[in-house]
Amino acid sequence: MRMKQVSGLMIMLAVAAMMTVYEGRGVAEDEVVGGGEIIYSKPVKAVLFSHKSHAAMGLDCNACHEKIFPMEALSVQKKADFNMKGLYDKKYCGSCHAKDGMAFASDTQCARCHIGTKGFNKASKQAKK
Amino acid sequence: MLLKKINIEAMKREDAEIIPPLERRDFLKLGLLITGVFAGGSILSATSIVGKAFASTREFTEQYPYKPHYSMLVHQDRCIDCEVCTTVCAKTNNVPTYGYRTRILEREDRKAVDRSREFIPVLCNQCNTPPCVIGCPTKATYKSATTGIVMMESKKCIGCKTCMAACPYNARYFNEETRAVDKCDFCFNSRLSRGEKLTACAEACPAKARIFGDLSDSGSEVFRTVHNMEKTVWVLRPEAGAKPNVFYTKG
Repeated sequence: MRMKQVSGLMIMLAVAAMMTVYEGRGVAEDEVVGGGEIIYSKPVKAVLFSHKSHAAMGLDCNACHEKIFPMEALSVQKKADFNMKGLYDKKYCGSCHAKDGMAFASDTQCARCHIGTKGFNKASKQAKK
Repeated sequence: MLLKKINIEAMKREDAEIIPPLERRDFLKLGLLITGVFAGGSILSATSIVGKAFASTREFTEQYPYKPHYSMLVHQDRCIDCEVCTTVCAKTNNVPTYGYRTRILEREDRKAVDRSREFIPVLCNQCNTPPCVIGCPTKATYKSATTGIVMMESKKCIGCKTCMAACPYNARYFNEETRAVDKCDFCFNSRLSRGEKLTACAEACPAKARIFGDLSDSGSEVFRTVHNMEKTVWVLRPEAGAKPNVFYTKG
């Protein structure tokens, strides 16, 4: 009798656990990671920031928001110091992308983030579709 | 045309003597000693003897046929395709929207490690043996005897486009307004002849990807990089044999 109760409870727990797992997966699949692809066009055309690839490395939202970047997309490019010098001074992307930072330094691999005018045009063409 | 892959290590080395003395001397004048001959002379290995063959670097730099010998060094890995150069070029030299004097080529390798994108600025290479000049029937395009710049005298141009077909670098376009072919002249007419020291593109580049200078001046950045043994410097399409004056490097 008692055993039956215990096993019944276990089954209920197991079902509940499965549901949570299922729910968790559902959320992860449906959720658009952060704000999608952000393409800066100032001060030069154009720089790609991919929320997806940054989140895939295990960074969570508050790693950058809102201490380094406000939630509003492209708001930092209105700032006068949003340029390579600013980055070298460990501002914005340079907070991590620095010589002793956790990611490749801002003065290396230029065209990894800089997708250029061609990249910008391709992206806006895709957005129209 | 697909060329067969050459394994130079596995090739039989032939005697350098089979190269005629006059041709060997041509190489010596460039500061190069032929050390190996392969495939009946179609492939040569050479080593620099600038230090031995010329009493001083000055003597060597005087080999450059023009003074100033204008040239450009492109740091290929610095280009970010912001197109500031093409924009200022068009404005400075009245280049129509359908034409170009300089362009940025793009190369993408998705399998590459880390950076998968590369931008390559291209322009007229101001060749020492310019196929366009050789091909022009009216001498509308010519090599400037003082600066080495390949110039256009548009009123002599008959629009036959032979030069466009001859150019290995696709650096020419036909200007519908002037009814003549137009090309990069290192900003000679718009800037250099008016006392400016740099081309519009080199001055405007925010990444210092384009370095403009005098190759015959041993103090110039172009000279110091091109003659730096530690640096790998190359030209585009060397097989065309046009002896271009636009050099490329990385790092």
